[in-house]
Amino acid sequence: MDGTGSILLSVLWDTLGYWWVIVPSILLGLVVGGIPGFSAANTIIILLPLTLSMDLEMGLIFMISLYCAARMGAGIPAILVNIPGTAGAAATPLDGYPMSQQGRGQQALAISFVASVMGGLLTTLIAIAAMPILARVGFYMHSVEMIVVMLFGISLIASIAAQDLLKGLIAGFFGLMIGAIGTDTVYATPRGTFGLLELYDGVPLIPALVGLFAVSEAFIIIEKRLILTEEGAAAMAKPSWAASFEGVAITLKRWWHVVWTSILGLVIGVIPGAGASIASFVAYQQSRTFSKTPEKYGTGHPEGLIAPEAANNGVTSGTLVPLLVLGIPGGATAAIMLVVMQYHGVSFGPSLFQRNPDVAYGMFIAMAVAYVMMAFTIIPLSRYMSRVTTIPTIYLAPLIISFTLVGAFVPREYMFDMYLGLGFGVLGYIARKTGYHVAAILIGVILGPLLETYFLRALKIANGDIMVLFSSNIGNVLWVLLVLSLALPVVLDMKRRKQGVIV
Amino acid sequence: MIRNRLITRRSLLQTGAALSATTLAAPGILRAQDQYPARNIQIVVPTAEGGGADRNFRAFTQIWQKYLNTGFEPSYYPGASGRVGYEVFMGRHDADAYSLIFGNMGPEVLNWAMQMPDFSLDDYFYWGRVDVDPCVVFVGAESPFQTIDDIVEEGKKRQLTVGTSRMAHPASIGILSIGDATGAQFNLIPLAGGKGTVAGAVTGEVDFSVLTSGSVIAAGDAVRTLCVMGTNRVGERLNNAPEMNAHFNLDLPEMLSSRAFAIHRKAAEDFPERYAILQETFKQSFEDPELAVVYEESGGAPEYLSYGGPEECGEFAAAMLELGGKYKSLLSGA
Repeated sequence: MDGTGSILLSVLWDTLGYWWVIVPSILLGLVVGGIPGFSAANTIIILLPLTLSMDLEMGLIFMISLYCAARMGAGIPAILVNIPGTAGAAATPLDGYPMSQQGRGQQALAISFVASVMGGLLTTLIAIAAMPILARVGFYMHSVEMIVVMLFGISLIASIAAQDLLKGLIAGFFGLMIGAIGTDTVYATPRGTFGLLELYDGVPLIPALVGLFAVSEAFIIIEKRLILTEEGAAAMAKPSWAASFEGVAITLKRWWHVVWTSILGLVIGVIPGAGASIASFVAYQQSRTFSKTPEKYGTGHPEGLIAPEAANNGVTSGTLVPLLVLGIPGGATAAIMLVVMQYHGVSFGPSLFQRNPDVAYGMFIAMAVAYVMMAFTIIPLSRYMSRVTTIPTIYLAPLIISFTLVGAFVPREYMFDMYLGLGFGVLGYIARKTGYHVAAILIGVILGPLLETYFLRALKIANGDIMVLFSSNIGNVLWVLLVLSLALPVVLDMKRRKQGVIV
Repeated sequence: MIRNRLITRRSLLQTGAALSATTLAAPGILRAQDQYPARNIQIVVPTAEGGGADRNFRAFTQIWQKYLNTGFEPSYYPGASGRVGYEVFMGRHDADAYSLIFGNMGPEVLNWAMQMPDFSLDDYFYWGRVDVDPCVVFVGAESPFQTIDDIVEEGKKRQLTVGTSRMAHPASIGILSIGDATGAQFNLIPLAGGKGTVAGAVTGEVDFSVLTSGSVIAAGDAVRTLCVMGTNRVGERLNNAPEMNAHFNLDLPEMLSSRAFAIHRKAAEDFPERYAILQETFKQSFEDPELAVVYEESGGAPEYLSYGGPEECGEFAAAMLELGGKYKSLLSGA
């Protein structure tokens, strides 16, 4: 066995010895991931003094387990009550929630858990094996390429708009307009803030997320007795373990779908500045584009759930690559990990794997172990969790509103954010009632500012020359793929109509 | 003689009077016991958690809490180049010396030269400087530029792109000054914070970057420093890069990021005894040999630790405002 192999084995053995840290971290991560406003990053910040007092190995294992579990936990309320715990799970309810309404919540949770575990585990192994290659991704993905990646995500609006083009596009543009509020990224000049300090940094994501999804959903479900449809209620009347196993089987049967969407997540995670929300939107959009049954997406289709969940867990290992190899954290949680490692005297860069192989490989091994333990911890819970959908809405709706508004307050501790959450709730309610898709609005709010940042940066680098958008080979290839992915569904649709498959 | 243990009218009245007096005097007694600080100190950090200011803050307060005998509760307000944090501190925190802001005087004061805040600049002041961290010019490990002269030579042939954490930053002024002195042309590209600026240089998005040296040191061997816009106090850790003034025969002030605690002026005036305790214990922290140790552990360079009182901070802030005024058109797009 070569040196790396023996290091990996020894690190694995050490990590397994920390099961007593991993299991509580997983449980904590599931809870904080599931409540909008709470996240792995702000939990680790709160617990930072504790983390710093641990030895480095234990501290990293604690943080990584929490991080992975939070990512998975964010999908649970997204599936059960249409409330994504974080922006990375914003694409999860598109198909997860309809499954719950149909009484397939248990199955949907199992699909989400298995896709997350498989995606996380697979990409962790790939990251270990292909670290030098993956580290290069950042060298090729500059502003121009990022603009196209963003457009891949934003084109999900077009997919959502497939049922009603005009309404879909109006919702998307409205979201983009909301996303443009805040100070500009070049000169920090406030725009559209109405003088409100709370909007200087743009429209905060969590209140928008909470309002558009949770609060509006609470308003909607108040109008009915249960989240479940009539058929769903009948199905949930006799829950069985078989539903969970069925979910596991559905996911395993679509193993290839898990593989490519999680790799997509890994690659997007590796790009500094990109993250889980982009990955899950792009994965969902691509999954729909290349599906043989795109019309099923949005109706409770398992593939529409697998794609974002596999992708956003693929991101977890991806964000560690630029952190370890380039010293650049790929996201907020990775930035906190950097603080802890620096506190313990670990310095970063390409030679980290020679200087501290136990730390570098240890983080990935810890991630793999956490995912395996998560599978055993959480899949059995899917049966009990899915019972949430059977709680009468008279109890559920007030709970949703109060929990999520507290969640809106938590990240910035502004009362304003609670009012904003309510405002977005009313907006979301009106949108739902009038046939506009709240996800299309949210995509604009999340991706709009990022797109603007990269667009202005690219223009600034090129001294205002718009042709910079077509100045890179990789960028041009991505442009072609983008056009293809937009045109392909239309072409296939026309072909099917011609063949009489759909009318 | 055995004393009567029964409660008499006199003893009842005496006891009642004593109890009443005690009750009435209680707030006074409690006030006397209310030694500052009676609770944690809130610290507003106008940048994101996990960044250079966060590391710096955590390391310093680890020592300071021993002398001030209380904890510190940070809250992070990144956004709008640090303006959000200051507006929150000035507008929403009580002026009672239980709230301080931990700012980076260089870039954050430059902000005010670009656009005045909603409060008067006289309403707060920096009184406790923790460090002086020079800005640097650096490239990614794979960059073809080996020296600052390579950059200048290339900058004379074509306009080079320069990553900077924000337009209004001492490092931006430093590189523009080098351009003025040598004839090289530089195009500043704001990359939204230290991490983005490092990423820009490492991934080759920009030709090179300028930033506070602490963040560059933290990036390890993924980057290479080519010039220091001040005194190179850490030698090898900044690749023994030459100093800007000596190398280009300039006479510019040091381009520094300098982190310092600031307080509402009203708090210092209304509670002079509290302000005095803050100052005294802050100073004591610098005399503690453990400070350098925790600084090094947090990834910082102990060589940058530099005590400064209100005078030093005031002078530095004024110099930054003046420089900002001079370069306003280039840094604000005005």
